[in-house]
Amino acid sequence: MNIFIQGQLIWIVFLIFILGLAFQLTQFFKLTRKKEWAYPPLEIKSQKKTAGQWVASCLASLNGTLWKTDPLMTVVTSAFHVLLIAVPLFLLGHNILLNQSWGLSLWSLPESFTDTLTLIVILCTAFFLMRRLLLARVRAISTFYDYLVLLIAVAPFLTGYFAYHQWFDYDTVMTLHVLTGEIMLLTVPFTKLGHMLYFFLYRFLIGSEYSYARGARAW
Amino acid sequence: MENSMSDQGLKPVDTKQISEMLGRKKGKMKRYLSFCAHCSLCAESCFLYMKYHKDPQYMPSYKAINSLGKLYRRRGKVDRKLLTEMKGIVWRNCVLCGRCYCPIGIHIPSMIAFARSILRSQGVYPQLDEVSLESWL
Repeated sequence: MNIFIQGQLIWIVFLIFILGLAFQLTQFFKLTRKKEWAYPPLEIKSQKKTAGQWVASCLASLNGTLWKTDPLMTVVTSAFHVLLIAVPLFLLGHNILLNQSWGLSLWSLPESFTDTLTLIVILCTAFFLMRRLLLARVRAISTFYDYLVLLIAVAPFLTGYFAYHQWFDYDTVMTLHVLTGEIMLLTVPFTKLGHMLYFFLYRFLIGSEYSYARGARAW
Repeated sequence: MENSMSDQGLKPVDTKQISEMLGRKKGKMKRYLSFCAHCSLCAESCFLYMKYHKDPQYMPSYKAINSLGKLYRRRGKVDRKLLTEMKGIVWRNCVLCGRCYCPIGIHIPSMIAFARSILRSQGVYPQLDEVSLESWL
């Protein structure tokens, strides 16, 4: 069973993950074939600013954004999402396995550093959980599914952290680490975690400074 | 007017028509609903949420989930009681000003507008003299 989980299943999961994302990608562009008129980008010729004015204008541009309304959540969610992708990609252990398997790998971050980053991901998830439990506005729209998605996202990091520190039975923890990672990859294209892809795709619909390709696509 | 109100109340819901309407925008709306992370970060962008002492039922995501979300979850098989409950959500709790902001990029007003269309197709919409008849306006 362990050999299957850490062997063939990984390939099946990667295949489903890539095909699932490709399906969502093609569906999106198929559904948004229609084009609508979009505002041309504004060309603002501004006067040369002093350093102080530049800082002031940067701070003013944050008004009305999430940085202003919820700075803590903005920092936590930004750190969480960047690390969720970056830590597994630049982890030494993963790159060694990749090198053994394919003879190529990405560059790796120091192990003690990725260990701290993993802990940050876990703490960010704890923050999300507390937010979901304690804030009335988040609780109002939370279902069992939301807690499950949170668990799916953090489980590979939690088991990876346990495995690195060799807590509990190493073999069992490693099997769980691979299994939870596979579950996460499997669920990305078909569940709420699909916002990983749609966060970028929706920018093709938004006609403003946050848009991609003029944001002229329409459903 | 009272007669027309009671007629509206007795008219059976055409679930087939609702399912058909839901099917027409399924690709778009189901994606909006299923990729919503339920983060609640859209809350402060709604002036009604801010005006009504940050009451969660005025959150843009809450309104979309509890109107269009419910319609899709039940595949259009809803009764008039539920549609009437949704009436307050999509007409009273939202003015469709279009200023709500979703960090993922979900267009919430289009969901509320679609829910309104579905409700309107079943004769569920505010009446001009309803202010005095119902407490919801």
